Amino acid sequence: MIAAAGLSRAFNGRPAVEDLTFEVPSGALCALLGPNGAGKTTTVRLLMGLIGPSAGGATVAGLRIGADAATNAAIRRTCGLLTETPGFYDRLSAWDNLRFFGRLYGLDGADLDGRLRRYLDLMELWERRDEMVATFSKGMKQRLAIIRAVFHDPKVVFLDEPTSGLDPEAALGVRELILRLKGEGRTIVVCTHNLDEAERLADIVGVMKRRLLLFARLDDLRAERQGPGTVAIEVRVPGEACELALRGLPCVTSVALHERSYRIGLTDQREIPAAVRALADASAAILRVEPEASTLEALYLSAVREED
Amino acid sequence: MRLVTLFLTKELRDIHRNRNVVPLYIIMPLLMVVFTIGFTWMVPTILAMARTQQDPGMLAAIRAARAIPEFAGMPEPEALTRYVLRTLVGFYLLLPTVGAGTAAAFSIVGEKTQRTLEPILATPITDRQLLLGKMLGALVPPIAASWAVALIATIGVDLIGWHRFGETLMPDRFWLVGVLLLGPLLGASATLLTMRLSARMTDAQAANQATALIVMPIFLVVLGVFGRIMVASFTAALVSCAVALAAALYLLQVNLARFRREEILTRWK
Repeated sequence: MIAAAGLSRAFNGRPAVEDLTFEVPSGALCALLGPNGAGKTTTVRLLMGLIGPSAGGATVAGLRIGADAATNAAIRRTCGLLTETPGFYDRLSAWDNLRFFGRLYGLDGADLDGRLRRYLDLMELWERRDEMVATFSKGMKQRLAIIRAVFHDPKVVFLDEPTSGLDPEAALGVRELILRLKGEGRTIVVCTHNLDEAERLADIVGVMKRRLLLFARLDDLRAERQGPGTVAIEVRVPGEACELALRGLPCVTSVALHERSYRIGLTDQREIPAAVRALADASAAILRVEPEASTLEALYLSAVREED
Repeated sequence: MRLVTLFLTKELRDIHRNRNVVPLYIIMPLLMVVFTIGFTWMVPTILAMARTQQDPGMLAAIRAARAIPEFAGMPEPEALTRYVLRTLVGFYLLLPTVGAGTAAAFSIVGEKTQRTLEPILATPITDRQLLLGKMLGALVPPIAASWAVALIATIGVDLIGWHRFGETLMPDRFWLVGVLLLGPLLGASATLLTMRLSARMTDAQAANQATALIVMPIFLVVLGVFGRIMVASFTAALVSCAVALAAALYLLQVNLARFRREEILTRWK
């Protein structure tokens, strides 16, 4: 659905993104990770046809970006964009705002009204549709912006920092919505700093810092992740039986107790389930299992630090 | 065209709920009506005072009114009333020019500050549609307001004129050309000039200051150069319209050639 080959863009001679080559298949959710200024937003703007590439190219839904104005317009019709800040006309109602953008997408009349009703219902904003957007909370504005990004039924949806600045409940709601969009078969690209969010949502992750440092399916990364590691397992009542059970495992290299938490050295991170099973067999009530670093976090940090 | 008028509809809805536009759309039109009808009502009093006190300014105005061939055979109060009304046309050029200029200054930079620019640019709308839509949205409300005010003032002035001289005074051809043609053309020029600036500006304050620095002096120069001649010569009024039309067409071409979504998107941080 999205294919970039050597995609690059410079501003005043200074590269913002360089030589991006990747593919996102139809229906997949790709998380683009990277520090501030890594070029995530520039990448989205390039793929939306909002700005042209300095070198290389890309196709989105079979359309080549920057081919001509008509192709760029066709790409924008095929895609939906959630910008980092959900900009709306504060003095207009939610309904009037969405109708304005709907008409910019060429929708009108009963078709547009029907779509708006469906999505406003879905996002639990139907009752507030006639209120001015100025009175909305940030979470409500974000939900409204998600409606704007998807109500024209785009094949590809770009979401730039979809949960940034939201409280945990609102963020959870937005994540559920993203999964629902994915369930509808849309191809989704999420730009985020939030590694946990990426790990929960994504099929594919890309780590970028001007260049693409890593781009792979999350499942493949998890399977490839191996080697020594440490896990902390908190139990309700620690005891000798627990320690003996752990030390009896060939994959365990060290065991240290800190308050109610065992810090366990392992020959391979993939042996974490074996350690948990041993404690369970020793009748330990397990409260928490925390690997030293999540797979994605470790990969992200190693990729970004290596680049530095 | 449908997309272009969409921006106008949105602008009208926004104006309807925006208290900040009260000075422009309520106070200024009210002053225009009061001044026009008030001056018309006061002419005999002013005339009498000028004669009694030998006020040099007023006597010069009376001489200027008498010098216009069309007014030569009229009684002095009627000639002076018609002269004053003709000079007040300048007032009716101010609302479309400054109103449209101010709205245009905010047109692109306003979308930037409200963070609505990128969502708009992400739709299939073309650069040309966006430019024309924003232009129409800035231009039409002040023009419509100036026409509405002119109509109200005309009715008031004609009631006085009918009562005092037994005939209607407005609209004469100068008034029609000024309000219906020159005002909108000056407004279009101001809009296109400030939209060009607005696309390059990064904050609303800078855009407003640039508008004040550019639109007002141009407006004053136009009035200074053509104002006195326009009152006396209908040809001069038509020439002013032609100049304003040429300026508007040139600025439209410049805007269409240089208005690029990439430029206005990437200049903004």
